[in-house]
Formats: sequence, structure tokens, C-alpha cells
Amino acid sequence: MTTVRRRLLPYLLLGSGTLWLVLFFVVPLAYMARLSLETGVVGSLEFNWHWANYSDALSLYDTQFVRSFIYAGTATLIALVIAYPLAYTIAFRAGRWRNVLLFAVVAPFFTTYLIRTIAWETILSDESPVVSVLQFLGLAPQGHVLATGGAVIAGLTYNFLPFMILPIYASLERIDERLIEAAKDLYASAGQAFWRVTLPLSAPGVVAGTLLTFIPASGDYINAQFLGSAGNQMIGNVIQSLYLKQSDYPAAAALSFVLMALIMAAVFIYIRFAGSEALMGEEAR
Amino acid sequence: MRGRETNRSTVTLTIAAFVAAVALALGLAACGGGGGGIEGGGDSGEAETVKLQGKPSGEVTISNWPLYIDQGTVPAFEKATGVKVKYIEDINENAEFFGKLQPLLQRGESGGRSLFVVTDWMASKMHELGYLQNLDKSGIPNVEANLASSLRSPSFDPNRDFSVPWQSGMGGLIVRTDLAPDVRSICDLFDPKYKGKVDFLGEYIETVPLVMSCEGVDPDSASEAEWMKAIDKIKAAVDSGQVRRFTGNDYARDLTSGDAVAVIGWSGDAVQLQADNPNIEWRMPTEGCSLWSDNMVIPVGAPNPTAAEAWMNYVYKPEVQANIAAEVNYVTPVEGVKQIFEKREPELAKNELIFPSAKFTKNCFTQPQLTSEETQNITRAFDAVVNG
Repeated sequence: MTTVRRRLLPYLLLGSGTLWLVLFFVVPLAYMARLSLETGVVGSLEFNWHWANYSDALSLYDTQFVRSFIYAGTATLIALVIAYPLAYTIAFRAGRWRNVLLFAVVAPFFTTYLIRTIAWETILSDESPVVSVLQFLGLAPQGHVLATGGAVIAGLTYNFLPFMILPIYASLERIDERLIEAAKDLYASAGQAFWRVTLPLSAPGVVAGTLLTFIPASGDYINAQFLGSAGNQMIGNVIQSLYLKQSDYPAAAALSFVLMALIMAAVFIYIRFAGSEALMGEEAR
Repeated sequence: MRGRETNRSTVTLTIAAFVAAVALALGLAACGGGGGGIEGGGDSGEAETVKLQGKPSGEVTISNWPLYIDQGTVPAFEKATGVKVKYIEDINENAEFFGKLQPLLQRGESGGRSLFVVTDWMASKMHELGYLQNLDKSGIPNVEANLASSLRSPSFDPNRDFSVPWQSGMGGLIVRTDLAPDVRSICDLFDPKYKGKVDFLGEYIETVPLVMSCEGVDPDSASEAEWMKAIDKIKAAVDSGQVRRFTGNDYARDLTSGDAVAVIGWSGDAVQLQADNPNIEWRMPTEGCSLWSDNMVIPVGAPNPTAAEAWMNYVYKPEVQANIAAEVNYVTPVEGVKQIFEKREPELAKNELIFPSAKFTKNCFTQPQLTSEETQNITRAFDAVVNG
């Protein structure tokens, strides 16, 4: 009896989560899959295995796909460059300020995403001090910053930065400092110890952080809507517009699936690559 | 140690895969909202007429656009009729509202709404799809008596069978007089002098006809090719960096900050913006403006249509309408309001944006009617520019 119960327990624990996912993820996904193969206008949609929705999605909106991945990739890279030193400082050098700093990282979440993005409209407004400085430095070639691709990337970086910082911090914070001491005992310089001990051990955090930043950033449409112009719209904006403005549900559904497939492919390639990278550091030891 | 290492890499992979799955689900939820399971046709054409039941009572839910009413009218209506009103401001854009509600309307439900307010072209589209009920005119004598004569027979609803105007307005130019004093026609927005300082409306039904009309094309009789030509002109302006961005009412922010010096915008907004910043001014384009109305309609499956018609009837009392008009500054569709203003607030009575004379709007056109195929082609082309 006890063994049966023990065997069933994990399934019971998974139950609520599974139910949630099936109801709110799998079922809508199935609806969307069906929708993506329909044709016609709202009110007279017909299901007829119309695979051309998919080829149309790719050929009509390839620019926006490429743009989305470039913007999201750039934002992820910048976020990584900002986040790693920050997380490192919080984990190893912050002392009693650690909790305060962590709070500061999370604090923006007390304001909604939308409000924070709209606040950037003011920060990057044409007459703002920030833009005057950028113009003085020659970094605003179009004469304005708001309503350019740069502003969209800046917004994406800012909005997803905490998703980069927190996982990296979590993995750095777990590192046994004696390992670093041991490296130094074995005549590793500070740089060597970092490259061969700290960095490999924090790799899971970096992988998680980049994924948590890149994936939502590629599908984002808020930043492009408020900070971008007509030439900076991302694939999320197209999907939103197809759904809500043009009422072209089949095209929107097909586009969503293409986006999902592309992101999934990119992520699996990345995980394979990053996974082996993380291993290599350890094997070299 | 080998065992632990494999273990760690497995953990990495598992975490990463899990994170990917969750993030994907989130991303999907964010961009894939709405619109599942849409099949079959609506019962177009043969709309039912609402069934009135005695005196209005009970509860009624009304959906409207934000900042489109004064504070006092809803409580006063509740007091006068005993009906409890749930007044929600959940409409920001016609197409978006349609996208949200369409799956419900398709099933003959209204999401609990007894009445909502949409612009002419959307009312027409919903009617064609069989999503609206015809009104029982015995319940709305005030509308019959007081509706402005110019609004009595629009092309999409010649007998006002299913729609009653809430407010009307004009689409045209809003400029910063200190920064762009000489913008007087929609075509002036294409002047390279204002490069990157001009906003267009993201609603094709406003922006494209206005551009056509400054090019000398009559939007009412324009062919699809002429629409496409205007869209090409807009596209060229976007590509050259002339147009800063496409907006809804949020052009207000750009005008206030000076990021935009001239925009295509709506008359009522201009009145409100000018109150805060005297440098912001409405300009009737030399070639004319677009005229539209937002209409109260009763959807299929609406609970308590009796109370909904009582509401329509109530806001068509001139003294009630005067309060609304004084607050929202759009063009009131109710006769007799101007006379009330002449006594109460003579300044507003003289404002051509609230009480436009026939002379003031003589060049203006009503929003064009398109077939659903034309609509699809035009929205697709326009969207390719907006989301370029």
C-alpha cells in the first residue's frame, strides 16, 4: 500500500500543473493549429488544410522575423554584458548590501511593464537631456532616438534585464568559494580562476538567463509599439495586428506557429551548444 | 566525479528546456490572445428586433470608450429609472474591440453587454455579420425627435434601424502653432521641413481617405487602385523617415512634448489638448475633413435590451446631452443642445468643433463604405506600411 502510494505521489503532485497546462496551453494550441489551416474571412472561415497560410506567413513577413531575432539577440547580448558583472558583484562583493541590491533589481517589477515602457518615451523624448547628450556625441544619426530601432533594443534590454541578472546571480551565489581558493592555491591567477572555475560553474545561470531574455524578447510587441516607428515593428506586432486589426485569424495563427517553431529550433541548437560548452569547462579541469 | 558531472549537465539541460517551455508559453499567451474556434457564417442580413418588456428595470451593462461621458449622467439615469448601470470603458480601438468580442458574438453572446459604442464602419460591419439587433423605435421617442437631421440617414443605416449616434467628430489636422504654423492641408504633412516630426493615425479608415482627399481624389467614390496609390504615397513618406510613427489617441503625448509638430487627429482631442496647451490647435484641412459618428448599438444576446433602449432615450434629452457634450467636446448629435449652451456657456456654443456649421464642414466627407474584399486588401496593404 505504501509503495503504491509512493509511486502515485509524484503524479498527484504533478496533477494540478498538468491540468493547468492542458487546459490553458494544449487546448488553445490545438484550436490555433486548426485555425491556422482555415481560409476565408471572419464569419465564414472554412477548415480545409490550407498549408499555404504557413508559406505566406514566411514569405510575407520574413523581414519582421529577421528583425525580431536581431533585436532580441542584440538585447540579450547587451543584457548579458550588463548583468554578469552586476550579478557577480552582488554575489561576491556586496556584503551586507546584497539584499538591498537584489531588491533594487526586482523593484521595477512593482510597476507594470506597460508603464515602464511608456516612461521610456519620456526619457527618450526629443528634447530630453539624455537625447541631447546622445546627439552631442553623434549617437543619434536620425536626429531623434525615440521611434528608432535603437530605442526598441534599449527598451527590450531594460525590460528583460532582471530575467538575466537573477538566474546568473542564483548560480554564482551557489558556488563554493573554497573551489576558487583551491584554484588560487594551485597557482591560478585571479583571471584564470575566473575563467576555469567561476565562469563554468555559473554557465547554467547564463544559459537560463539568455533564454529567459531572448525568448520573450523575440515575441514582444510592446516595446516596438511604443518606442519604435513603422520600420521597427517586430513579429509580435504583426501577429497582434493580424488578430486584432485585420481579423485575419488563420494568418495570425500560422504566424504564431512559425514563430514558435523558429524559437524552438533556435533554443534547441543553443542548448546543445551551450550544454557542451558548460561541460568542456569541467572536463578541462 | 564523472557521475556528478553528467548529472550537472543533465540538470543544465533540464533547466534550460523547462525555462524554454515556460518562456514560450508566456510569449504565446502574450501574442496569441483571442480568437479560437471561429467557424461557420453569421446569420447575415436578417437581424432580429429587440423585444421590449414593460418598464426598464434590473441591471444593464454598457461598454464605451474612455473619457467619453461626464460624471453625473450615469447616477442621474439610475435615479430616474431605477436601473442599475455597470458602465465600463473597455473600448480603445474598433478593430481591437471587434477582435476581442467576435468569438462571443459569433455564438450569439455579448459577454454580458447590453449596449456598446462603435464607429460607423464597425457598426456597419457588425450588422453585416448579423451581430446586432434592430431597435424597437417605440422605446426611443427622444431619438426620433432630437437626432440631428444630418445624421438621420447615413449610407450604412439609412433608417437608423440598428444604430444611434453617441457622439460625432471630425478627423483632420492638429498642429503645434509655435512649431508648424503653416501646416494647413494634409499634403503639407509630407513637406520635408517636418521630417520625423509628423504622426499619422494607425486607423486606415481615417488616414488613407484624408491623404486621398488632399490629392484631389473623392474618397467616397475612390477605386481600390486609388486607395493603393495613396497607401504608396504614405509608404514613401514612412521609408524616407518623414512619418515618425502611427498612433491612436496617443499622438497627444507627442504633440505635448513637441516630438511631433503636426498630426492627423480628432477634433474632440484637440479641444481638450488646447485647454492644457494653447499652442495646440485643430486645423480644418483646406481640402476638408472626415466625418464620423460613434454609435450605440445593441448586440445579439444582449441582456435587458429594455433598459439599454431606455439609456439611449435618456441621453437624447437635450439637457442630459448638454452635460455630456460640455465634458467630452465632440460634436453632439442631439438637436437643442446648442440652445442650452447659448444660455449656459456661450463660448462653447460658438466653438465650431462642438457645433460645426454646415459651412464649416462643407468639404468634409463621411467615412467611405467598402466591400469586405476591398477592406481586406486595403487593410493588408496599409498594415504592411504600419508594420513595415
